Amino acid sequence: MLARLENVTKRYRTTEGVRDLSLDFPAGQIVGVLGLNGSGKSTMLKLIAGLLFPTAGAVTVFGGSPRGHRSRTVFLGETDTLWPWMTPADASRFMEGLYSDFEPVRFNELLDALEVPRRKTKAMSKGERGRLRLAMVLARSAQLYLLDEPLAGIDLISREKIMTSLVREWHTDETILLSTHEVAEAEGLFERAVYLRDGRLALDVPAETLRQEGKSVVQTFKEVLA
Amino acid sequence: MTTDSWILDMDAGPIFEQIGRNVRQQLARGDLRPGDKLPSARDLATTLSVNPNTIVHAYGELEAQGIIEKRRGLGTFVREDAPVKTMRQNMLKEIVETFVNEVRRLGVDDEEAMAVLKEAWDAG
Repeated sequence: MLARLENVTKRYRTTEGVRDLSLDFPAGQIVGVLGLNGSGKSTMLKLIAGLLFPTAGAVTVFGGSPRGHRSRTVFLGETDTLWPWMTPADASRFMEGLYSDFEPVRFNELLDALEVPRRKTKAMSKGERGRLRLAMVLARSAQLYLLDEPLAGIDLISREKIMTSLVREWHTDETILLSTHEVAEAEGLFERAVYLRDGRLALDVPAETLRQEGKSVVQTFKEVLA
Repeated sequence: MTTDSWILDMDAGPIFEQIGRNVRQQLARGDLRPGDKLPSARDLATTLSVNPNTIVHAYGELEAQGIIEKRRGLGTFVREDAPVKTMRQNMLKEIVETFVNEVRRLGVDDEEAMAVLKEAWDAG
């Protein structure tokens, strides 16, 4: 098991991020973490990334504490933290300095595949910056990829390029948890759909099982979360 | 194999079944022939933006049905003895059954339906 949550609750000062959440994530799955804004998607991914600590319950990653395995885990957050003066070349040096598993050659290939312009991020569109940020994390050879809303708020073409790169780059022993509230485009990518509602697990189901019952992941999203 | 025209319908059952049906359809229509090479699971997954495991599943089913085979180090191919004739026959039956059911629901008898069918056939 790459990651495991056992009865995990994360309480913020006034609100609860996730409540009594228990989930297992084995190697080799692309999982859609689905829910509306505020449903606990980000909290769950950050708990697995070791960026947050549970108030109750236990999070285990690679059999140990999430913090102990940061190098095998990749987290792509929602916030765009790129400096405006940064070019993709700067980003490459920055990542090389931070992560020993970062591969500059692969990064360049990803920049090409994702058609990221080689200019300063302040001169890039939101979609281009989103593609650059994805290239930065995919160029690491981790095993657990936690991608928080990589498709949110960017243009359709960028979303399609990101989807294509994810399918092409994914190795069958890696696990990707991708959170989104824009389910339609990513539907085919998910092998498994985890629906969160108000911080609780609403449904955890193989995507093809849903479709066997004549329902899409999108349709189920509407039914479960309405 | 042409994948340009593939439209996956997420409300129309499992994706692996849709892919299987599509391959059988292409064989029945002659767009795909015995001995032809299929795209790799990864390439097809990329084209269709679906999980590569789903394609592997679809190919596995087609292999079990005796339609395709993996050749070590070469890729996946339509078997030389793929039952193309049977597939065409089955597909024809399906189409005709749909036609008959729809016509019956209209309350039209076979004679009238046949006449219109003949007319449409000759016109096409």
